[in-house]
Amino acid sequence: MYINKVQYMQKTAIASPIHFEEVFSTTKGSIYQSDSEYCWYVDFAGKLARFDYRNLLKLQKAVYGIDIENILLTSDKSADVEIIFICACDHCYVLSLIEIIALKELLQGAFVMLDLNHIIQDRLFRLAA
Amino acid sequence: MKDIMRVKSSISTDLETLLNQQIKKEALSSSIYLSMASWCDRNGYDNSADYFFKQAEEERMHQLKFYKYVLDMGGMAISPEVTNIKLEYNSFREVFEEALEQEISVTQSIKNIAARCHKEHDYVTLEFLNWFFKEQREEEYKARRAVELFDVIGEEGTGRWQIDKHVGQIVYSEG
Repeated sequence: MYINKVQYMQKTAIASPIHFEEVFSTTKGSIYQSDSEYCWYVDFAGKLARFDYRNLLKLQKAVYGIDIENILLTSDKSADVEIIFICACDHCYVLSLIEIIALKELLQGAFVMLDLNHIIQDRLFRLAA
Repeated sequence: MKDIMRVKSSISTDLETLLNQQIKKEALSSSIYLSMASWCDRNGYDNSADYFFKQAEEERMHQLKFYKYVLDMGGMAISPEVTNIKLEYNSFREVFEEALEQEISVTQSIKNIAARCHKEHDYVTLEFLNWFFKEQREEEYKARRAVELFDVIGEEGTGRWQIDKHVGQIVYSEG
């Protein structure tokens, strides 16, 4: 029984490697998609964070919502840091302005690629009968 | 690579945002009508108060229709915050003029969503909106007829009493 359990554990360990596909990457980070888990992995600011559909959209909304121009123009002594916290998500980012710009660029690129993938799926499989 | 975005939701994020804005607009309309009902009741216009109570119910029903649609399509429906509702009106006529403005604003806003649907080829949402266009035809008609009562009957003497009496009788019939 014990042996079986070990064998089972070994099997699952071997049988479930997470398979990523790169969606978009810049010199600062990358976003990968996992088809088997229906989620995305964001490799940015020194960590690899998993986002499901809703959380990726929340991340996009949070990052796009930051008024970069306003932060650049304010001359008060507050720290040049933004905390991106997403409700019901395990991850949180504490980013400098430069990093926010880089993350925004990464997300924009990734969403364009996801749109492109949608068009390709339509053309190749859904509309071509 | 799987098209996860499309698998999870039938509407685009842009349309989801527009539909959520519409949910808020309908909620705002409902609250405005409720406030109008309160003003009419306070000032002795019983029939008009009933008319606005009914309108408030209808707008709430429209709000829920949009709300459920967003959820059915896999989107995130947002329960809106409604603030700054006007409490006082300068005249009986002003209440109806603002009610008409509100209906026009709702129609224009739905047209804007439809324009976006055309752009995205989202015929499913467009078909859903058709029900609202028909509804708005009736809503605008009723609101416009109510304002016209002020010119047709006139406010002098027992005019306002007559107007109040006729407001509840406005019916829209097609064709």
